[in-house]
Amino acid sequence: MSTPAFPVPAEVDRLQRTALVAGGAGVGLSLLGAVFDLGQFLRSWLFAELFWTGVAVGCLSLLMINHMTGGVWGLVIRRLLEAGGRTVPLLAILFLPIALGLPRIYEWARPEVVAADPVLQMKRPYLNVPFFLLRAVFFFAAWSALAHFLSRWSGELDRTGSLRVARRLRGLSGGGLLILGLTITFSAVDWAMSLDPHWFSTIYGIVFMVGQALSAMALVIVLLARLRGEEPFAEAVRPQVVHDLGKLMLAFVMLWAYVNFSQFLIIWSGNLPEEAPWYILRLHGGWQGIALLVLLFHFVLPFLLLLSRDLKRSAPTLARVAGALFLVRLVDLYWLVAPDLHHHGALRVSWTDVTAPVGVGGIWLFWLARELRVRPLLPQRDPDLEEFLAQPAEGHA
Amino acid sequence: MADAADPGLARDATPAPPRREELVGPGHDFASVTEKISSIVLQRRTPWGWFVGFAIAFALLQGMLLAVGYLLFVGIGVWGVTIPIGWGMDIINFVWWIGIGHAGTLISAILLLLRQGWRTSINRFAEAMTLFAVACAAFYPVFHTGRPWLAYWLFPYPNTMGLWPNFRSPLIWDVFAVSTYGTVSLLFWFVGLVPDLATLRDRARSKPWKILYGILAMGWRGSARHWHNYDTAYLLLAGLATPLVVSVHTVVSFDFAIGIIPGWHATIFPPYFVAGAIYAGFAMVLTIAIPLRKFYALEDFITMRHLENMAKVMLATGLIVAYGYMMEAFMAWYSADTYERFAIWNRMTGPYWKMYWALILCNVVAPNTLWVKNLRTSVPYLFFMSLVVSVGMWLERFVIIVTSLHRDFLPSSWGIYRGTFFDWSAFIGTLGLFSTLLFLFVRFLPAISIFEMRTILPGAEVEEEHP
Repeated sequence: MSTPAFPVPAEVDRLQRTALVAGGAGVGLSLLGAVFDLGQFLRSWLFAELFWTGVAVGCLSLLMINHMTGGVWGLVIRRLLEAGGRTVPLLAILFLPIALGLPRIYEWARPEVVAADPVLQMKRPYLNVPFFLLRAVFFFAAWSALAHFLSRWSGELDRTGSLRVARRLRGLSGGGLLILGLTITFSAVDWAMSLDPHWFSTIYGIVFMVGQALSAMALVIVLLARLRGEEPFAEAVRPQVVHDLGKLMLAFVMLWAYVNFSQFLIIWSGNLPEEAPWYILRLHGGWQGIALLVLLFHFVLPFLLLLSRDLKRSAPTLARVAGALFLVRLVDLYWLVAPDLHHHGALRVSWTDVTAPVGVGGIWLFWLARELRVRPLLPQRDPDLEEFLAQPAEGHA
Repeated sequence: MADAADPGLARDATPAPPRREELVGPGHDFASVTEKISSIVLQRRTPWGWFVGFAIAFALLQGMLLAVGYLLFVGIGVWGVTIPIGWGMDIINFVWWIGIGHAGTLISAILLLLRQGWRTSINRFAEAMTLFAVACAAFYPVFHTGRPWLAYWLFPYPNTMGLWPNFRSPLIWDVFAVSTYGTVSLLFWFVGLVPDLATLRDRARSKPWKILYGILAMGWRGSARHWHNYDTAYLLLAGLATPLVVSVHTVVSFDFAIGIIPGWHATIFPPYFVAGAIYAGFAMVLTIAIPLRKFYALEDFITMRHLENMAKVMLATGLIVAYGYMMEAFMAWYSADTYERFAIWNRMTGPYWKMYWALILCNVVAPNTLWVKNLRTSVPYLFFMSLVVSVGMWLERFVIIVTSLHRDFLPSSWGIYRGTFFDWSAFIGTLGLFSTLLFLFVRFLPAISIFEMRTILPGAEVEEEHP
């Protein structure tokens, strides 16, 4: 790799090496698991893929929201988000095992199950293998295209500083958010909701949108805190920026609680046979412990902590909360999908449920670090960012 | 928006020129702002147009009083409510009005916390709009009880009857949500008015007005200590009001979603109702702002940028609402549940199909024209759009409430709902109540916050860090 003309923090190198080792080990162990139990491997792999795809797509959401709204918080993390978005092609490749093993994961992909179930027969126009794969191709293509153009035009903006390019980026983000909203919704229905093909909930797509944005925000805060000592971030990561990121994370935490509670309350009070079993499964057989854990550590504790102004203005402490939230995001997603993956039974964690997210995550972070070298880590010639950097700093993060 | 005509301008040498349109027209200073806004209340002769408008509004209000009088005399049978549609236009209008109120709270509280300077000239009358809309909304459930003099039974209080409301019913949550909302909105609005009331007190020429404004200004002297406490109080109230933007319409959505009627029992209802409320509210703010700025020549204060920003909020929330319709339809089909599928199919093709498709036209097709900048910045078009959205949101509530109830599980109990003369006269009457209050407000209180407008003038820039 040639030496780039802009500073790349040594931390990126460290991240890349560690991630590669972790990813290699995780994938290796998971493949070993595949030898013993191919079905279990595939289901764990789906969980890992769902989580990390969520992080990448969450990056795209935050990026486009910032193009629409403006704000220095988004300029400082823009390159991290763009790099996160550009991992989508990698995730498309990692989706292949799932695409090949659909019947081992999804009930509706097994003809004998469908033959015995009139409801699944009615759902066949939507839930069938070719259409499912076609949709998956479309989702990955749409996200890749968005990531590609967002990065490319942002690079153009670096070179020219042209307002016309900025306007084009804003236009793309407006339409892009629409596309993202629809693709996230339907990918959530396809990949996660259809694990229990009888269950349905109209808010499910929004639950995923919010969760993904929160995952991405938490990861970016952790990365930023690790990179903040080195150029080019040393100047830009100021308490004000960290504060704004912290506030946004708090907003996402609250939004997450809001949509999840709404769904729960409505289904609990309706108590209908086609909806309630989904929650009954998740609140019995050991899963209720996970639910409690998620409630405490995904909402109550981070909510209380993030109310503190001092905490939100300090990059290292905010990063600790963000790191913990990132892990709890993983637990939350597990609670959301795993009860259906394990044949609707009591809580049981397979070891590949751990190695697969580590493996996919390692490769993902390795790829991210690689992408972080492609461009300067802060946007160049952006008037808002220049104006911000020209102001005297008000103390250190 | 980035309107300074400098594409590709090299940005190295000089500090960047203002990239956004200013929030106040050129040539204004502290005195001219105060003079311009307070003169509407104090100095100018009341324009004849005001009298005409007020007379119409007041006549409609009288019509409402007649309709209500008859309702109290005969009973709520004069409305079109029957079984299976046990609540019709009363709940439709309740939700419609309460939704409209949300924009005022969003503008005054959330945009304040988000440091959006453009809220400043529109917050005052938007908050007033909230209060009046809540008053109109509260009318319906109270009168739908049939015995409004017993409406206090809705509140839980120890009584000799041993009677308590059902705390598991979202309708009782509504009582708390709406009464909290009304109280906080009133406090917020009044606290925001205090410095301006003092200005009016100081500038009023006649003694009675001096005394009246003086009482309302509560001894405001504008000392540094006053301002310090004032800022804290205002921020705290903004913090209190913020969750209300979400909670009130969430609870309203629970009125339906907690039940198990197909078409009501949808988990997406809370966020989609909140988005719809903001959408309808911004439409109403535009409906009020556009004539107001024209009539009193306030174009320097309520600028194109304000209107365009409101149009953008309308577009964004309109798209969320459209997403809600789409998810309802998709999930009904995906669920493969007979009743869910029938409910949505009946909406689209049943007796009320015209309402459904008119709703799609108003709330899904029409707002998408706001992607076009030329339309977004055309004042007549925005006014037209604001009316379209108000109609669309009324239709939405009609479709949700009536089509879900009129044909549910048992075909033998199907029915048809139609609003009667007294339904319509009550609705038009609340429009009269709302406009009467607005006319009085514009005439007797500053419709734009004077002291906050002063803070966004170029000369008000004090070099100080934001909190």
